[in-house]
Amino acid sequence: MASIRLNGITKRWGKVTGVSHFDLEVADQEFIVFLGPSGCGKTTTMRMIAGLEDPSDGDILIGDTRVNNLDPKDRDVAMVFQSYGLYPNLTVYENIRFPLKVRKVDPTTHDDRVRKAADMVELDNLLHRFPRELSGGQRQRVALARAIVREPNVFLMDEPLSNLDAKLRVSTRAKIKHLQHTLKTTTIYVTHDQIEAMTLADRVVVMNKGKLQQLGTPKQIYDTPANTFVASFIGSPAMNLLSGRIEQGHFVAGDARIPAGDIQNEGDITLGFRAEDVEVTLDNDATLVAPVYSVELLGDATLVTLNIDGTLVAAKASKDFEVEMDQQVGFRLAPESCHWFDAHTGHRIDG
Amino acid sequence: MNRKTFYLFVGPSLIMMLVFIAAPLISVFIGSFYVTRSVYEDVTVESCTPGFTTQTCTTEVRRKPIIKDNGEVLTNTVFVGLDTYRTLLQPERVKRAFTQGQWLEPFRTIDFYKALRFTVMFTLITLPFVLVVGLSIAMAVNNCVRTLRGPIIFVSLLPFIITPVIGALSIRWLFIGDGLITRGLEQLTGQDISMFAQGWTIELLMLFYRVWHVAPFAFVIFYAGLQTVNQDTLDAATVDGASRWERLRYVIVPHLQPLIIFVTMIHLMDAYRVFEEVIGFSSEAHVISLQWLTFDYLTPDDSGNRAISRASASSMLTMVGIIIILIPVLRRTWREHRTGA
Repeated sequence: MASIRLNGITKRWGKVTGVSHFDLEVADQEFIVFLGPSGCGKTTTMRMIAGLEDPSDGDILIGDTRVNNLDPKDRDVAMVFQSYGLYPNLTVYENIRFPLKVRKVDPTTHDDRVRKAADMVELDNLLHRFPRELSGGQRQRVALARAIVREPNVFLMDEPLSNLDAKLRVSTRAKIKHLQHTLKTTTIYVTHDQIEAMTLADRVVVMNKGKLQQLGTPKQIYDTPANTFVASFIGSPAMNLLSGRIEQGHFVAGDARIPAGDIQNEGDITLGFRAEDVEVTLDNDATLVAPVYSVELLGDATLVTLNIDGTLVAAKASKDFEVEMDQQVGFRLAPESCHWFDAHTGHRIDG
Repeated sequence: MNRKTFYLFVGPSLIMMLVFIAAPLISVFIGSFYVTRSVYEDVTVESCTPGFTTQTCTTEVRRKPIIKDNGEVLTNTVFVGLDTYRTLLQPERVKRAFTQGQWLEPFRTIDFYKALRFTVMFTLITLPFVLVVGLSIAMAVNNCVRTLRGPIIFVSLLPFIITPVIGALSIRWLFIGDGLITRGLEQLTGQDISMFAQGWTIELLMLFYRVWHVAPFAFVIFYAGLQTVNQDTLDAATVDGASRWERLRYVIVPHLQPLIIFVTMIHLMDAYRVFEEVIGFSSEAHVISLQWLTFDYLTPDDSGNRAISRASASSMLTMVGIIIILIPVLRRTWREHRTGA
């Protein structure tokens, strides 16, 4: 069991910067998810923690030890990969035993530990098979068993569910959550899927272009996004962002005028609001009124999209809400569900 | 694909194989059981020399080839069964040597066993060197900076491109009595060095030459294979705690396994037919190979006869040797094929 500390780690390849001045403290037993679009540096950061990449700058500490100069095998971490990384010429049993074998762990304990690990991921009846005879989900469970068999200090998981189909992803996700809860091992998990991040994480690290965007619990990230990037990345659909300006206590964008509440600063500003915080009405006294751009039935709700001054904004109405295309529809927006962002830096402005 | 299209596609190559592979093979096989000889007749000749009173005349019986009307020697071909093979293999001499406990005697005195000993040894010794050197170069190139790879690949391929006899000759000239390297070594050690005076040094040079010549082929094949090693599996092995050597053993070599078998088979077939080295190093007096033996039988002797029958028998035996030496590899491949590995 160990905490992890990253002090200003940076990764550069020539002139390209993959990760820049990244700080993070992970508490012991915590489940941290790195979330971001592809190429944002999340996998690079994880590989630096594993020791598969050397940071150009900064310190990595696991427990109280600086591990920058340690080989991956001496860092006592285990890693799970997107494409499983199994040994195709070894059976499931030998795959799980591999870390014990190469680390010269006392051979008399191997069988017990392999069977225990296999049992935890329900692989006990597949031990004699070869990886090629397994489905994707089973292969990923082998990779999980191989990671837990050694009881390492830290789990690193690099998009472990990305190669699985949607249904399997949900059940394997639950398995990972349960495993981490049982083993209480500090875990860092990389994904570009916000649902995975929201469901698994104790805290989420949102990254973009090699920089930390926001660090917080899933609820904090969702309720108070730190900037427009986080706002537009988290949530399905993502938060609506409208560019406009403040005039006499009102937000103005095209024909729309919305009371700005506590926001005092005049000038350009970005308004954000979530689709589910909007009340969709056919009344004409609503905050935003415009002809319907599209209507999508999601099953549990209806998604109504309007075109406001060139920007598409969406709102969730009840599933019984019926409206024709091009019909005038109004969005009613409470001041407390409005998020304000600086028009230039994108940073959140708290009123 | 329907039957007609299938035959249209396969037909041409099938015919080519029949004409250029199967037919010669069968003719050599049949030829090894027949011997073609000139037909001789006994002619009684009386030759007289002038004497004082009478001529002195002697009559003698001479064997003379029958000359046909068109001036050619009359020949006939007779079936001799395994006689030619017996001439080559000399079973009685081998048996005698073995009963007298002189196990090595046949390998020194009978051409076929001399050639067999060298050929088998040459094949089996060069194989591991070719595989290891090829894999080492491939790994080295794979780990080196991208910009250097092109030139290094080009340079490592040169030995493979050079015509075999020329390559062998150039090595010979380097090591011959007053060759560059011999002179250098003599200066260094202060000893007289003659690499071509005894069999074993020649064999050493031959082994060296073959490995130098073929390793680039193995290198190219392995280098291509290395490009498809699963990077995730390598990383997983690194994090799992595998050393460089263990990663090679558990990840890279299993991945290259089919290619290793391929190179092994090609090399076994190739090395068993060793020939250029004997010619290039002019080693006939010390070291000969099976393929050279066949060549030697085919070379016309002083009276212009070629020992076609013995050449056929020796090439049949060479072929049998290749098949025997390939059996372990083929069996292994077949087993893996059946288990679907």
